[in-house]
Amino acid sequence: MKKILHFLMLSCKKATMLIEKKLLIKLSFKENVQLTLHKSMCDACTAYEKQSKKMDEILKQHIHDNPNSDAVQNEKLKDKITQSLNKI
Amino acid sequence: MDKSEEAVVIQGWVKAFSDKLYSWALYKTSGQETAEDLVQDTFLAACQSFEKFEGRSDPQTWLFGILNNKIADHFRKVYRNPTSNKEENSENHFFKNFFDEGGDWLKKERPQAWKNEDAHLLDDTEFVKTLQACLKELPDNWYAAINLKFLEQKKGEIICQELEITPTNFWQILHRAKLQLRKCLQVHWFKK
Repeated sequence: MKKILHFLMLSCKKATMLIEKKLLIKLSFKENVQLTLHKSMCDACTAYEKQSKKMDEILKQHIHDNPNSDAVQNEKLKDKITQSLNKI
Repeated sequence: MDKSEEAVVIQGWVKAFSDKLYSWALYKTSGQETAEDLVQDTFLAACQSFEKFEGRSDPQTWLFGILNNKIADHFRKVYRNPTSNKEENSENHFFKNFFDEGGDWLKKERPQAWKNEDAHLLDDTEFVKTLQACLKELPDNWYAAINLKFLEQKKGEIICQELEITPTNFWQILHRAKLQLRKCLQVHWFKK
């Protein structure tokens, strides 16, 4: 029995690690069972997972958004590029 | 099209699109010099592979596609060779800010439900500012890892293959980055 418990028990640190792993790659069967069991007993990690997914959603969108719609003028850069293209 | 005609077309693109490309690169990498180099590299690459463009209708989309690849390359480099002077604490030290010896949440760090988490947060410019500030606080290679995860819509395994690292490394860095980012958002936004 002790062995089984030891096999199944995760710390919160390890559980949050598995939550992040799951958002990137697949968990093994054992890891899945461990995580599901841990979450069923731990509100904090359940909340963490929800927030972590929310952050991923936000980051995914944010990284493709450009909030500064005004283009920064950079005439020097244009000259520099034109010159380097002329050398080809 | 011969070479000289090509050159004229590309010079026109430099005039028309380089400000937009530069703004995007600057926003993504927050380094003026880096952004300039990325845009210059984009036009050089466009020049070299011009024949691939012919027949396509929208040069802006094509150039942004090249630039985004260059930006991903940039983050791969930063991820491998972080130059950050922000202190990246040792692993143990870092986790002590969140968990006790046994790996349980420290009482004050336990995640609690966020208020208004279902709101369209990114429509709120104040939230976007907070998020950007929190992202800037991260060590360079953590920020690079986050960008690599989301810039290209690729599976985790493929990102790791391209970086020539084991997935374990990559998600362990993401784990730390997300813990840190969550805490920052918690303190500066959700607690308000």
